[in-house]
Amino acid sequence: MSKKPTAGPALHKVIMVGSGGVGKSALTLQFMYDEFVEDYEPTKADSYRKKVVLDGEEVQIDILDTAGQEDYAAIRDNYFRSGEGFLCVFSITDDESFQATQEFREQILRVKNDESIPFLLVGNKCDLNDKRKVPLSECQLRAQQWAVPYVETSAKTRENVDKVFYDLIRDISSRKKQRQTDVKQPPKPNSHCCQLL
Amino acid sequence: MKEFDDFNFSVEKYTKDLTRECVGGSDLQQRKKEIEAYNETTAATLKQTCKKNYMEFIQTAKEISHLESEMYQLSHILIEQRNILATMTDGKTSSRLKAESLEVESSTVAEDVENSHATRAVKEMVQGFNGNLEGKTFLNEGALIELDANDYRPIQRVFFFLFNDVLIVCKVKHDKRLDFLTEYDPKKIAVINIKDLDGVKNAINIITPDGSKIYQSITAAGKTEWIEKLEEAFRFDQQKKPKKGQAPQPPTRVKQQSKASTPEKETTPQSPGEPKSLEDQTPEWLSTASEEIQTLVAQRHFEDAQELIKRTQDFMRNENRKKIPLADVIENKVKQQELKLINVLLKELSNSHNRNLQIALRAAKRPLKILVEMGRYRQASATLLKVCAVSLRVAQREARRNNADISELFFCDLTQVACDFLTAFEQQPACVSALVVWCNAELQYFASQLIKHYLTKGTSLETVAKCVERVRKPSTKLTEIGLDISYHLEGLLRTTLESLIEESKERLLDSVGRTEESWQPYNLQTKSNLKRLLLELDVLGIDVRAQATGDTWMNLTQSTVVFIRHFLQLTEHCGCLAKCETLLQSLELLLKELFVAQHSLKPPSDMAVDPNFVMKNKIFLVDNLLPIAIEKFRQISGRQCEGLRELHTKMSRQQGAPLPRQRSVYTTDVF
Repeated sequence: MSKKPTAGPALHKVIMVGSGGVGKSALTLQFMYDEFVEDYEPTKADSYRKKVVLDGEEVQIDILDTAGQEDYAAIRDNYFRSGEGFLCVFSITDDESFQATQEFREQILRVKNDESIPFLLVGNKCDLNDKRKVPLSECQLRAQQWAVPYVETSAKTRENVDKVFYDLIRDISSRKKQRQTDVKQPPKPNSHCCQLL
Repeated sequence: MKEFDDFNFSVEKYTKDLTRECVGGSDLQQRKKEIEAYNETTAATLKQTCKKNYMEFIQTAKEISHLESEMYQLSHILIEQRNILATMTDGKTSSRLKAESLEVESSTVAEDVENSHATRAVKEMVQGFNGNLEGKTFLNEGALIELDANDYRPIQRVFFFLFNDVLIVCKVKHDKRLDFLTEYDPKKIAVINIKDLDGVKNAINIITPDGSKIYQSITAAGKTEWIEKLEEAFRFDQQKKPKKGQAPQPPTRVKQQSKASTPEKETTPQSPGEPKSLEDQTPEWLSTASEEIQTLVAQRHFEDAQELIKRTQDFMRNENRKKIPLADVIENKVKQQELKLINVLLKELSNSHNRNLQIALRAAKRPLKILVEMGRYRQASATLLKVCAVSLRVAQREARRNNADISELFFCDLTQVACDFLTAFEQQPACVSALVVWCNAELQYFASQLIKHYLTKGTSLETVAKCVERVRKPSTKLTEIGLDISYHLEGLLRTTLESLIEESKERLLDSVGRTEESWQPYNLQTKSNLKRLLLELDVLGIDVRAQATGDTWMNLTQSTVVFIRHFLQLTEHCGCLAKCETLLQSLELLLKELFVAQHSLKPPSDMAVDPNFVMKNKIFLVDNLLPIAIEKFRQISGRQCEGLRELHTKMSRQQGAPLPRQRSVYTTDVF
């Protein structure tokens, strides 16, 4: 019996980051099981896997839901290393969580050492617009600075939940394909060049 | 005085108004005094409120810590259960591992407590591991299955040993030995709880420096435990000393508020006659002593408070006193604090009562010690005894409901109290007499309970004897600690016991009078019945083998045989009761009258009986039964039963005359 991996659907690894209590787990569970969990229980590190159809192609999405609490900060590096795309979540009702995204962004860039890593800035709890503390313009400005998309979601109403995950894995997927072609193509032009020269 | 609370209060304006209102200096002085008094009461209320809040805070903190410890215990129990369940499922699902884990288990029973055991286990079990494990804390161990990261098929069985700073991964070989694979630093690995992975259950993902690995636990509980333990290892250095912080300092320690020092500053300039140097003679600690004591009491540092009071008093007693301008004020305040402390301690002491006497006594120890040191013997001893009385009575009530032996409990408790009391108040003869009075009161209560619940009317003498015996035994033991209460106890029970004896006597005599007697030898129908009867009587101390004839016959009437047995049993019980002299007389009377009643039984005149046989029964009673009963009584009670002896002499003389020849046949000395 060969122990080689069966050529299954492509696997995209997504990591949820953001401060404690902004709704990372809620988004994940809404995406995974179409349910909204009201009770808050801090996460340590949970992983989920789901098969989805992305643009007519079956892929697997692996979601790592991390701990937002500050006391887990030291261990985050270890987790971030395995990520291929990041959903950086904050709550639009909590300015501190918005400020914290800066730190997360920096940490991710430091660990991945890649400015263009697939990354979405996600403003959660948009159903609580009347309690908004972070103005939309500020969010968009920050997204612009980072050159990443900004999406507002609600884990409660499921607004944009699928969108953020699909957008991210689409990005991851296209980057992977691009890299494959990058890897394949460069030698050719090189040889061409040589021939030309 | 309302103006003080006003937001716009201005000192200058107030003073101006005051001077304008007042006529003359004396009026002003009066107002000043009033203001000072107000100042003092306000300060006192403030402190009281603070103290009250602080006490509440302490109470809540205590409750929380109590609940916490309960939670801890619960979780401990849960972990234990989980381990048991895990090993059970282990045994079922992986028979290969069973022997393995059992071996490990048996070799490391006390693993959780002693890391060295775990260390040794690793050394013995794991081939190829040479690391040093000295000084590491063992956290967890167990078998897991490593899964392929791509298709989740099992790759191999592994065994983990987790220490605070190393995770040892071993491969489980087919011969059940462990082969060292690799080791990781728990701080350099990341653990992910795999919640959903295509139906793979109980898996965790460990991201290690050499890649991400999936391990599967056999049970869900095992998985949770590993996640917890690995996190614990990760944070081990941070929580090495999970000591709880000391209770925060109370907010009241503002020394500027010190009542003692404020007037001091005011008064010194007013008395220019005194040399200025005197002011400096008041040590800092003394001027704040009263405040400090208050704080210490609030913080429940009673010992420190007491010490400070003592120090202040000692200081005052010396000639230092003259050097301190405000000695009286300070002394007064300290005295008040002392009274307060005593009250608090007494309250504490009276709150220490508990269902369990041991706990109550232990709780009482601390306040008791301080109170004794402060010389409050009488109050302390009275309160302690009150507390003990409650515990004692509750314990008895409970024991009675549970059908436990209340006598032993009572005397044990009594001894305990007496011992503790005597140690606490050794130097105080006055208190010892309080203890004696208390013992008597408790004894009275105990006796009344005993009479009410155990020595009720109609109780058989056997039960009474047993009950009394159970009371007497431990009560004599109390003399070992110098407390003789047996006599008092006998006195308390005497009337009840006497009336019970009287009552039994009547009942027994009545039953003797009503026996149907056929005046025929007793046929026991079978050999074994006869044998059993002979044996039974033998145990009671009388040998009647000589009276057995044929295979199944006794050469005595049935009622005589029954009486012999009954009388001897009764003698035993009476002997027990007669250990106390006061009951001797009524007991003798009972035995005597009963014997006479049986002895004087006569066949009815219309019945055809062998007069010799009737006589033979009577002679047997007098010659054989009576001496044995007398001896038995003497042995058990340690007293001569004069009544029965007289009866014996009298009766032997009576029957000696009519049947002199027969007597020699039946007396025991022939055999």
